[in-house]
Amino acid sequence: MIEAPAPLPAQDSTVPRGAVLRRGIRANPLLVAGAAGSALILLVALLAPLLAPFPGDAGTATHPLLVLRPPSAQHWFGTDNVGRDVCSRVLYGARISPLIAVIVLLIATVLGIPLGVMAGYFGGWLDEVIMRVTDIFLAFPPLLLALAFAAVLPTSLTTVIIAIAITWWPWYTRLIRGQAASVAGRPYIEACRALGISRWRILVRHILPNSITPLLVQISFDVGGVILTASALSFLGLGAQDPTPDWGLMVAEGQGYFTTAWWVVTFPGLAILFTAFTFNLFGDGLRDLLDPKRTFL
Amino acid sequence: MKPHRAWPIASGCAVALLLAACGGSSSSTAPPHQASQVFTYDTTATVMDDGWDPATEYSDGVLAMNNMYETLTRFNPATHGVSPLLATSWSKSANGLTWTFQLRHGVYFHTGRPMNAQAAKAAIDRTIALNGGAAYIWGAVKSIDATGPYTLVFRLKYPAPLDLQSSADYSAYIYDTKAPNGQPLAKWLNAGHDAGTGPYTAQTWNKGQELEVIEKSFPRYWGGWSGPHYTKVVFRVVSSDTTSAQLLRSGQVTFVEQMNPFLWRSLQGVPGIHLVSSPSWQNLLGQFNAKALSLPVRQAIAYGINYPGIVAALKGAAVPASGIVPAGLLGHFSDLPGNYSYDPAKATQLLNQAGYGPGKKQLNLTLTYTSGDSNEQVVASLMKSSLAKLNINLTAQSLAWPTQWAKGKSANASQRQDIFIEYWWPDYADPYSWFVNLLATEKQPYFNLSYYSNPTLDAQINRVESLVATNRTAGINLYRTMQSEILQEAPLTVLYENNYQYAMSSHFTGFKVNPAYPNVVFVYDLKPTGS
Amino acid sequence: MIVYAARRIALAVLVIAGVLVLTFVIARVVPGDPAATWAGPHASAAQVAAARKFLGLDRPPAVQLLSYLGGVLAGNWGVSVHTHQPVLSDIGTAAPASLELVTAALILAVLVGVPLGLVAARWPDGLLDHSIRAGAILGVSMPVFWMALILQLVFSQRLHLLPAAGEFSPGLLFTHPLARHTGADVVDALITGNWPMFGSTLTHLVLPAIVVAAYPCGLIARIVRAQVLDTIGETHVQMARALGFRERSVYGRFAMKLAWNPVAATLALVFGYSLVNTFLVEAVFDWPGLGSYAAASIAALDTPATLGVTLFIALVYVVANLVVDIVQAAIDPRIRLR
Repeated sequence: MIEAPAPLPAQDSTVPRGAVLRRGIRANPLLVAGAAGSALILLVALLAPLLAPFPGDAGTATHPLLVLRPPSAQHWFGTDNVGRDVCSRVLYGARISPLIAVIVLLIATVLGIPLGVMAGYFGGWLDEVIMRVTDIFLAFPPLLLALAFAAVLPTSLTTVIIAIAITWWPWYTRLIRGQAASVAGRPYIEACRALGISRWRILVRHILPNSITPLLVQISFDVGGVILTASALSFLGLGAQDPTPDWGLMVAEGQGYFTTAWWVVTFPGLAILFTAFTFNLFGDGLRDLLDPKRTFL
Repeated sequence: MKPHRAWPIASGCAVALLLAACGGSSSSTAPPHQASQVFTYDTTATVMDDGWDPATEYSDGVLAMNNMYETLTRFNPATHGVSPLLATSWSKSANGLTWTFQLRHGVYFHTGRPMNAQAAKAAIDRTIALNGGAAYIWGAVKSIDATGPYTLVFRLKYPAPLDLQSSADYSAYIYDTKAPNGQPLAKWLNAGHDAGTGPYTAQTWNKGQELEVIEKSFPRYWGGWSGPHYTKVVFRVVSSDTTSAQLLRSGQVTFVEQMNPFLWRSLQGVPGIHLVSSPSWQNLLGQFNAKALSLPVRQAIAYGINYPGIVAALKGAAVPASGIVPAGLLGHFSDLPGNYSYDPAKATQLLNQAGYGPGKKQLNLTLTYTSGDSNEQVVASLMKSSLAKLNINLTAQSLAWPTQWAKGKSANASQRQDIFIEYWWPDYADPYSWFVNLLATEKQPYFNLSYYSNPTLDAQINRVESLVATNRTAGINLYRTMQSEILQEAPLTVLYENNYQYAMSSHFTGFKVNPAYPNVVFVYDLKPTGS
Repeated sequence: MIVYAARRIALAVLVIAGVLVLTFVIARVVPGDPAATWAGPHASAAQVAAARKFLGLDRPPAVQLLSYLGGVLAGNWGVSVHTHQPVLSDIGTAAPASLELVTAALILAVLVGVPLGLVAARWPDGLLDHSIRAGAILGVSMPVFWMALILQLVFSQRLHLLPAAGEFSPGLLFTHPLARHTGADVVDALITGNWPMFGSTLTHLVLPAIVVAAYPCGLIARIVRAQVLDTIGETHVQMARALGFRERSVYGRFAMKLAWNPVAATLALVFGYSLVNTFLVEAVFDWPGLGSYAAASIAALDTPATLGVTLFIALVYVVANLVVDIVQAAIDPRIRLR
């Protein structure tokens, strides 16, 4: 979740959007690669029941006689310590991580955006109060606060989602506030007010659209961040429980067998890596595309 | 008996640190011979988590204690009887109510005082009075007298195998009841000191740290120090199996108490490492909450567990169990009627009686097992799987042992689990421990985590010890009867019997598995070869 | 400057107060009855009620909060359920090892990340640049616990290059015992001149530090690259070129100068993040720091300990950010005036 210093305020581009887009894709291999990878993961998540050779293994099925078999034609990624097909579980796991990310970011944006907009636009004591509250939440490194919550609530997928969402919303509030504040100060907004246009209309029609760009970029970066955080919580035993095919949980369960059965840990780990990497790549590419004046990182 | 540790069982203190081995790199070249030989015992959980008092310690401290303290007799697996240790000979009266022990001369406590009958009496009296740990083993004792400087006479309330009981791995130690400088004994002990007579004495206690306990040789040990011996014993707490295996390979530990069966097998043929596989008197139990689950449900669960699957998945670390008493102990039967097997059809039938089963109401159960034990995790997973087929939704919770145990003992019944997974092993070479600790009625739960209460069984439990002592055949038959009843009532099921799989350095000789002291290594008996 | 510093400090104090309140709220969200846990499994209803009174749980929440705050400030952070020691003392024992690990990791991250970022900025859009960028993104996408396992397997088990676990070789405990002063073994070995121990602690530090350094390294490389590219077109840098400075100096001295600012800010942010990453790494390497302590607390449902560690790290984080803010403002006046 930690990212570079806050993005520069969005500048209105003088190049027509369509042209930017067309030029952007060719000049942005990262974006294409990232988008392709992300699409792949979402596709796998959707089609998991069709793709997985042993769908039952992602549930409660076990095969005690097929314990820790190495990768073979029958089990492409081998089997785990209770005989379940690792490939099937990794495929089904693709449903869990993006799901967590989507719900968390949904909650975070739904909570964070209105607060940020109010803080930025109305300013004054409301701004101060909201900013102090976000400061307090941001005083915790991301995983830590989520961990603290997850440690006191009953262990489950829901807990993980709630815990991470609680950690994530302040970033969006901050982000939107910055946008809203910069836009709110512009002369044409004052003109709108003078014309009697309601604050609400100004918010919706002027401020929000200008904030979309950095928001989209942040969201695409955060997908990777949320997935890493969620898998870390699962690894520590605070997230989904057995037999849920959560990738972090699979790595945790396979630890003890790692040196004799490398496949149990390697494939779920690669899945986490690939997913986070691909969404980060997409985020990078998106940033390049939407902020052409900004030198990309 | 203390199912505290996932694998390790009681006493076993053996850990010697191979001093020579470590040099800062992880090379697997042989260490050069050095004057000070260290034996490192690699274990997965904190060793001294139940205090340092030899009278009440009832947990993993046994590993360390059995090198610092000694008992009157020691169980000898070769003869299936007891051999002299602090007692050189003993006899019992015709009616079995009086036992006379002759104590060894020239034995000193680590506090400096000599051991004699008066001191031994004081120790056992104190253990009985404190009534903690496994003090029940002295339950038959009415009084103890020191009739001579080295003669100890026990008068019993009923006949009991006192020679066997005094070889127990808990609460049978002979120790000095006077701390140096007149300090209160318990306080002094719990600061990390020992008052034993054994070959090693406590040197350092790094509470909560990895190199938790360090013992050094006691120069005045009655056995003497001629010949090659380890001079230091270190207990190293390493929670990860993989790390332990790597430490063993690089020579940084000498003995690894437990690792998963696959890892153990992978060490086959590795130079410098020796593997030992041995049957044990330890089994893994699933205790069913008798207050929360009705009889047909308990029986159904017992039939709904895939026992052969569990044994297969654990590749050599488990053998199928028959009855509650493990093979090798008196009272074991391989032909008990009603011994549970994996029978989903029967399970379904029983569940239907209670309104559950496939197609009917779903049954939700909670199970707790000890975290850090990969075998228990496999068991929980397999149980979840086989019970799911019976429309039983099992939620398995992995907890650190103290937490798991506290939850099972909690006064608030709704906080308790439905199935409690723990290991059990005897306190001395006898099956009594299973019955008196796990199945006798308890006012407050302690180890009877089925919360089971059966007055008939209680009466039988009260009788069986003295019966075995007076009429062995009748006693064995009573054990058979009790086990049949218990199978019928299903307050628990035995998942499997453990097969110990130890991995150790090949730079010493003399290691023998002694099932009466599970996971204990008597380091004094080992001869480092330093090659 | 003083005004700026004072304002930042006041803000930090406010944030810390908020952190304490938030931790208190989390502690109270715990389901179950803390009084029953305290009284023990054999307690009667009367004993549980007495425990409730003793723990102050029968008082109104506001009063509880105040006494909690008072307790924390006085150093009473509760007693750990699994070690039976005061939480603060446990943290005191465990913290130096983690701080040592994170510091080493950050040093490594700067040593590797800055040059990589510079190289990438020097020849932008080339193969090297793309590789470094991809590598940086890989670094920040890496699941830390997985990387720890893989590195341990490869470097320790298969290649026998580095030790598997622990802080030092236990054998040295007897031949060259380490005198503890700071609690950080490498530092202690250094200041007491215990060279065998120093070598051992260093080799044991390498693998865990590499794992923890991956994320900061990737981040720093990206930031340096961005910052250098941003400033390379600026007048004073062009001037340096015109004056005949070699390209290496142009990049390394002039362009880089401005990059240190965001790098420093990032280090503060990432210090806290990495401290939490140790939770995932220490268990694999048997590193006896906060991470191992926290992981053990979680497994033991030890709420006081878990929250104690949370509070500690949050405080470290706030202070680190504060220090960096003030130092940055001291160096760069523009910040103060914003």
